[in-house]
Amino acid sequence: MKVVDANRILGPVPTGDVPSVDVPGLLAELDRLAIDAACVVHSYALHYDPTSPLPDLPEHPRLFAIPVLVPGPLGTPSPADGVRVARLCPAEHRFALTGPQGLALAGELAERGITVLLGWESAGFGAVDRLAKELPGLRIVLINTGYRSLRELAELMDVHPGLRVDMATLCGHQSVEWVARRYGAQRVLFGTGSPESDDAGPRFLLDHLDLPAAEVELIAGGNILELLR
Amino acid sequence: MSGPLVDGLVDGVIDAHGHLGSWFNFAIPDTSTEGLLAVMDRCGVATMCVSHLLGVGPDARAGNASLLDELDRYPGRFLGYAVYDPHDPQAPARADELLSAPGVIGLKLHPDTHEHPLDGPGYEPAFELAARRGALVLSHGQHESPWSDPGRFAVVAPRYPEVQLLMGHAGLWPSGFPAAADVAARCPNVTLEICGSRMTSRHLAWLVATAGADRMVFGSDALFLDLRVGLGRVMLAPLTPDDRDLLLFGTMTRLLKGTP
Repeated sequence: MKVVDANRILGPVPTGDVPSVDVPGLLAELDRLAIDAACVVHSYALHYDPTSPLPDLPEHPRLFAIPVLVPGPLGTPSPADGVRVARLCPAEHRFALTGPQGLALAGELAERGITVLLGWESAGFGAVDRLAKELPGLRIVLINTGYRSLRELAELMDVHPGLRVDMATLCGHQSVEWVARRYGAQRVLFGTGSPESDDAGPRFLLDHLDLPAAEVELIAGGNILELLR
Repeated sequence: MSGPLVDGLVDGVIDAHGHLGSWFNFAIPDTSTEGLLAVMDRCGVATMCVSHLLGVGPDARAGNASLLDELDRYPGRFLGYAVYDPHDPQAPARADELLSAPGVIGLKLHPDTHEHPLDGPGYEPAFELAARRGALVLSHGQHESPWSDPGRFAVVAPRYPEVQLLMGHAGLWPSGFPAAADVAARCPNVTLEICGSRMTSRHLAWLVATAGADRMVFGSDALFLDLRVGLGRVMLAPLTPDDRDLLLFGTMTRLLKGTP
């Protein structure tokens, strides 16, 4: 089983001294938890300035650099060729996800087949619903959904087949199995949000899911690798 | 490269903080006791110490009755905390009776739900009863809460030095973990219980290094939270095997030896 963390942060964070402050530290953590690879956003793009050049991420077969995008004239350039997954942080970076500029950027991503990682708290129910309605071809992975939002998630996933969720904080009792059974394992991705949320719990859960092995393999890494292709 | 990190069952794991029932504030896909047992079996939890959420919420009397029914159905798999409602004038007598029921090991206090401070007068009979009966007390412990801040544990614990008081969630928020560890250092009868969605394995390792695993117990908050997530945090945290054993069963086994 190939295990790929779809939602991980590289670099220093303001809330603690973390092992993933640099690439060797991050790789050691992945090794310790038997995670084969990870999609990483740089902490500077989350907590400093997404529009400034980031420290170079060395080419590494286990790390997929995920750009953080901001729309509009004060935002980031269009993603480079070859980008397959990007992240948007509307609340943190103070832009309107479904405003004219946000929709223009999202439209470009949909047209280019680029998947969007979108934090649940960062976007909110209404904006996700509108975005998915306006751009039904856009692939969206809702990340860091928490354990209290299952009813809202279900409403969105019932009507928007392009929506997926990650496991990072989807930690309510049997929530992962419920989502996978109702919507299909192809719409659930292993992710941790580490180091800002826990990686050990979701990793252990992955090994103990009450789902067929083929479905667990999709969740563990098959789905994100397909989106990255 | 990757496969299961922990194969098979882990014998003897005791979950010190679980629940039966359901809750108003979010959806729980399967609220059955059988579903919870299936998850316990899947990851090797032998025993879960539970309160009933109907009791934690609006109706302690009915919730505690449901708790006894489930303890009776699954002896050994569940041990019970009877919820103590500080607003119920009959709570002292009812709790005394409940502590005589098979499988009931202590009292569950939820100062935030009941909006009564842990060190307030409504809980004095609960602590007096626990002292007299040798019962554990598990209380919700939430940093900066007006009802259950760790500081209130430091007030009440010395009043009842014979009572083993578990601080649920060890302060709940990362900002509260240092305060929780400080209370454990000052109060030998306070034990930190570690469930919560904001806890990470890094936080857990810090707490173990600071407070000591012999002053901490594993809890999951299932069936609020997924048992496997909480257990995995302990199983995969950077801890020594001895400390992991203390968290998973050693400390709680010691505490349970003095219970009714």
